Amino acid sequence: MRLPALALKDKAAVAQYWPQLQGHLALGLTLALVTLPQAVAFSVTLAGVPPHFGIYAAIWGVLFCSLLNPSRVFHGGPNTAMSATIGVTLLPLAPPFGAEYMGYALTLGLVAGLIQMAFYLVRPLGRMLDLISEPVINGMICGIGLFLIFKSITTFGGLPLNTEVEWPVWIAWQSLLAVLEIGNMQAIQVGLITLIACVVVQQFARLRKWAILIGIVAGTLYSEYLSATVGLENTLIEQIGNLASIGLVYPSLPLFNQEAMPDVIALVPGAVTLALLGLFQTVAAMRRMNRKVGGYTDSRKAIFSDAVSNCLLPFLSSLPTCASFNRMWLVNQLGIHSRIAIASSALWLLVLVLFLAPLIAVIPMPAMAAIIMLLGANMIQWEDIKPHFKDRREAVVFTASFLAVLLLDLFSAVLVGSVLAIAYSKWAQAHPNISLRGNVLKLRGNLYYGSLPVVESTFHGAIARTRDLIIDFSDCYYIDQEGIRWLAATKTKHKITFTDRRSGSERRQGERRVTGARKRIAGRRRDRPDRRQRSEF
Amino acid sequence: MSAQIAKLARVLVLLVVLGGLYVLAIHKHEQRETLRRADVALTPGCADKLARYGLVAGEHYQSPYVLAKDGVAAKLRGYTQPDVRAIQRGCNIIDDTQGHFARDTGLERWNSKRFIRGSHTSCDHCHQGIGDKQDAEGNRLKGSLSLAASWAMADMYDRFTGLLLPYELRQMQCYINSSNGYKPNISDDLIRDVTAYSRFLSAALDLKIGNHYDEQGVDEIAASATVKQGDDYIRGEALYKDKCQSCHGRQAVGTVADGRVIAPALAGPNAWNMQSRNYFYYVSTILPGFICRNMPLGQENTLSNQECRDIAYYISNLPRPAGDRQGPLIALQNQFLMAVMPPLMRLTESQTKDPAPAQHAAGAR
Ligand code: HEC
Ligand code: HEC
Repeated sequence: MRLPALALKDKAAVAQYWPQLQGHLALGLTLALVTLPQAVAFSVTLAGVPPHFGIYAAIWGVLFCSLLNPSRVFHGGPNTAMSATIGVTLLPLAPPFGAEYMGYALTLGLVAGLIQMAFYLVRPLGRMLDLISEPVINGMICGIGLFLIFKSITTFGGLPLNTEVEWPVWIAWQSLLAVLEIGNMQAIQVGLITLIACVVVQQFARLRKWAILIGIVAGTLYSEYLSATVGLENTLIEQIGNLASIGLVYPSLPLFNQEAMPDVIALVPGAVTLALLGLFQTVAAMRRMNRKVGGYTDSRKAIFSDAVSNCLLPFLSSLPTCASFNRMWLVNQLGIHSRIAIASSALWLLVLVLFLAPLIAVIPMPAMAAIIMLLGANMIQWEDIKPHFKDRREAVVFTASFLAVLLLDLFSAVLVGSVLAIAYSKWAQAHPNISLRGNVLKLRGNLYYGSLPVVESTFHGAIARTRDLIIDFSDCYYIDQEGIRWLAATKTKHKITFTDRRSGSERRQGERRVTGARKRIAGRRRDRPDRRQRSEF
Repeated sequence: MSAQIAKLARVLVLLVVLGGLYVLAIHKHEQRETLRRADVALTPGCADKLARYGLVAGEHYQSPYVLAKDGVAAKLRGYTQPDVRAIQRGCNIIDDTQGHFARDTGLERWNSKRFIRGSHTSCDHCHQGIGDKQDAEGNRLKGSLSLAASWAMADMYDRFTGLLLPYELRQMQCYINSSNGYKPNISDDLIRDVTAYSRFLSAALDLKIGNHYDEQGVDEIAASATVKQGDDYIRGEALYKDKCQSCHGRQAVGTVADGRVIAPALAGPNAWNMQSRNYFYYVSTILPGFICRNMPLGQENTLSNQECRDIAYYISNLPRPAGDRQGPLIALQNQFLMAVMPPLMRLTESQTKDPAPAQHAAGAR
């Protein structure tokens, strides 16, 4: 019944594919079990909305994405960074868990979905996503990871949250001291047991994918033990609470009315951040995982699938969706790359919450906080960061966007990081490599308004010393109008010769190219037909 | 193999760190528990106030204040020994937030200093008379920020956020609103003890819960309650120099002698920040109201409404810390201004005629 109609067409076909299908369904169940605690934790501790928001995102978000996104390893659903953005954006506007807050959360998701749709419809916007460099994304990911750890400290210690948003770094320190001095010791024990169980289990490669689940089970069992011996009224450990009200669908409407308009407008920067964060992660994660399994998916298709899903999800009481790095990693590790398996994880989850709600209800919040801390720590991967510190520019961009997450906010982090990265690359373009050998002035790089002053300075130094200067353009990839005017003017005033060792057709081709890298590849493939002209781009 | 060992070492380090933190937590919890049971060394002000209100542990409590005023006093439920200690600690925190009278400045005040940046702020500076200001005849005063009256108004809608706030949350907010601080956690002893003290005050004064009393909050002064000349920096500056500078110092950075605060800072690094409700550009009615009813100390109620607004306007234009939500850039800018402006002003003032007596310049930090 859960299988795609295609498989049902022919009973024999079902029988034939049954063993394979079994594997798919098993992967689906694993994914569902891994997603469930994340879904609950993201919505409750990060986004500040009731758990069903995350669970519906893990059901409908995953389902929509698996239907719309052709990638075989793509797993959508609730996402840490996106949930954290929702919390950060909405906390100043309304108290968490309230009706108004939930309405704003849905509005925020819808606006983000519409912005993502714009990224699909306006092609260059979608291409812009590729221009956000890796150090920026990694800097943000590390910042968010640390932020998650900070933010979970209070819940870990069984203390109520302070609702006011202050700088995360201050909150972290104050919360740590508060937990040490006045934290609920039993809550701390539950959190510690969860954390340690998780970390220890993670060390065994075969059990790794179960680590989160085992951790939560350990924490829950201990908390149940405490409740049985001491009594919940004495331990006062907060639990997830009843999910029994969750049904098949839970329609909802985003909050849009005259009164809320000023706040909705105040949401827009947050929505832009949310949309971008989702798309970055989707595009980046998909690119990376597809390469791992040797596949390829047009990133526009992924943008489309995210945008459509996020426009629909706010009407289903759900958090927005985007790619999940950690779950896609799991899909890859388990070795089954199939959209059926991924879609089945959504349906498995539906079954779980419909029938196992009472079990989920007793999961203690400190255990959830411990899991979030661990996920945060896992987002900071030294292997990903290390390459950035080999190059000073990348290191600066990485550090800037990392600090901007902690000191400013996510949106500023994108801006600060990208502006720096673009400034650096412009700076590099504005300093072409110019060498003078004998009377040959060789230009490597671009000749345009930005680099012209640099070229001029060397040129005038050379012309003073040498007569019959030859300017070699063989490695010059791009000349703009200002450059051409300057060349024409100097040619009339000085005795110089221009040379280009490439053939005429090559040069014309080169002029069409904008970047140097592509030109170099084209040069090497002189004898082969240009394949790029046949590609769909 | 070495990768395996490195992995093991990482896990071990993590376990040791977590274990260490856990042991530290146990130690801190025990420290607090001992302090909760220990006898409280009262500040002189609190010893006087609590003795006057007859606070002792016992079956029943009868307020001497009410007895003296009305001739009869209801027999209320008494306080246990732990209750008494909590009330005493709460009183100490309000009277001496910085812990000048404490043996252990941090812990004995539940680390109240940690939630306040700057070394001047004490709750008693604004919530005067240790949260219960009275005149010589024992009349409670209008707009005196009485903590007893605030406790009697248990839940209140916040007029800016519209949230229903219990007394504890309003108390937490005052760390941000009236100083340059952080919110303590709501389950901190710091909050609980001050609540216990405020509650005791309202019992001693026989305030009825849910009632609004005039002494709660500030007697606020809106622009419409003045002669409507507009708020004026020049008038404010002249008035400040005339009436306040002798105590609060130049540039209103406060006066300190022998490490004791003589008069607290109204601007500069030790004052409330730009997101506090005492900041004129944020809420323009509270600071003038406070000044009119409570200052200059010893000559209260001598300033006109217009004068109070002018002074408040002037004070709020002096450099002070930025609020936490204003971000690091504005914070940096304000730190810079606070460092540069006072010496710069002193320089320009010494060029012209010096209006302030020399002795106060020495006292200013
Ligand atoms: C700079 C002056 C100032 C200082 C210092 C100060 N407060 Fe306040 N406090 C105020 C003002 C003004 C209000 C009223 C705010 C309003 O009306 O919104 C207030 C309100 C309160 C309230 C709520 C009263 C009510 O009726 O709602 C409490 C409780 C409180 N403060 C506790 C404290 C504590 C505890 C401290 C010490 C850490 C403290 N305050 C320090 C000025 C101050
Ligand atoms: C006689 C000295 C004196 C004079 C004159 C004086 N003050 Fe004060 N002021 C104090 C003291 C002392 C306090 C602390 C309150 C307490 O301990 O009762 C204080 C507290 C304050 C506070 C509360 C600030 C805080 O940070 O806690 C304000 C505001 C204030 N004064 C404003 C003024 C203004 C405005 C004037 C001039 C109209 C003025 N004062 C004149 C001594 C003085």
